[in-house]
Amino acid sequence: MKEHDAQFENFLREFQPRRPCALPVALAAKTIWQRRLYAAAVITVTISFSLWFLHQGPPSHKDLTAAGNTQVLPDAGPAAETLSLLPLTQLALEDPARLDTVLTEASRHVLPSLRGNQSTLRVLAKE
Amino acid sequence: MAERKLSADEVRRLYDQHGPALVMYACSIVADSAAAEDAVHQIFLRLLQGDIPVPGVPGAYLYRAVRNAALNSRRNGKRSVSLEEQPVRAKSLFQHSDENPEAALALQAARLELPEEQREVVVLRIWSGMTLEEAANLCGITTNTAASRYRYALEKLRERLKPFQKG
Repeated sequence: MKEHDAQFENFLREFQPRRPCALPVALAAKTIWQRRLYAAAVITVTISFSLWFLHQGPPSHKDLTAAGNTQVLPDAGPAAETLSLLPLTQLALEDPARLDTVLTEASRHVLPSLRGNQSTLRVLAKE
Repeated sequence: MAERKLSADEVRRLYDQHGPALVMYACSIVADSAAAEDAVHQIFLRLLQGDIPVPGVPGAYLYRAVRNAALNSRRNGKRSVSLEEQPVRAKSLFQHSDENPEAALALQAARLELPEEQREVVVLRIWSGMTLEEAANLCGITTNTAASRYRYALEKLRERLKPFQKG
């Protein structure tokens, strides 16, 4: 009986399982590559933000007004400057009362004045 | 034995060596060959990604991992067709050394008619080259139970494949 079984086992072994599809190696490599890229991007953004934040330091009145973005209005005077958003947001979170003061002060320079001879409103009214 | 992570070349070699038998083994658990390949690929992709360390002799580990993946796949109902409902495909999972496609298809049909527990043991013994003790360990049964299942399976297969057997 055992010999009979062994003979039949050998017959079954003449049949071989077909080879399966090739391993999707590209997919695995892509997954690893994507993970590394994502990790690198997160690290870069975190370090950049940290360095930028350290470089900025605590917000001062000087920080709150950005000279580069000045919108000169005819009667706004030499000190007219617009406010930059990020320090204002930070100030709003830390000291809302001071934010109010800063905005009031800034509005004197930014909003058009009616007093000057060449103010925007006067010019428009004449036309 | 110490566990270690495998290099991509080692994983590919293991796939070449064990892939066909592992897919055949997974086929004895899940509904069709596509689901079986999915289960095997899932394990090998994890090995390629270096997610899992494997023992020094990875054969037994691979069979256990594929068994779990195939059982999970079946439990999650990824394939709704049961093995018994599955039609015998025109292309057999087997290829015969004498290029006898009828015999290969007959074997596939006969294999599908076996109860799952017998099918599992016979695949492990014949195509994975395990001893009955190793097959019993993998299936979580005693060696006597494995031997009994194997004997019944051989009887049924012998009956079905008689016309194709020489001598």
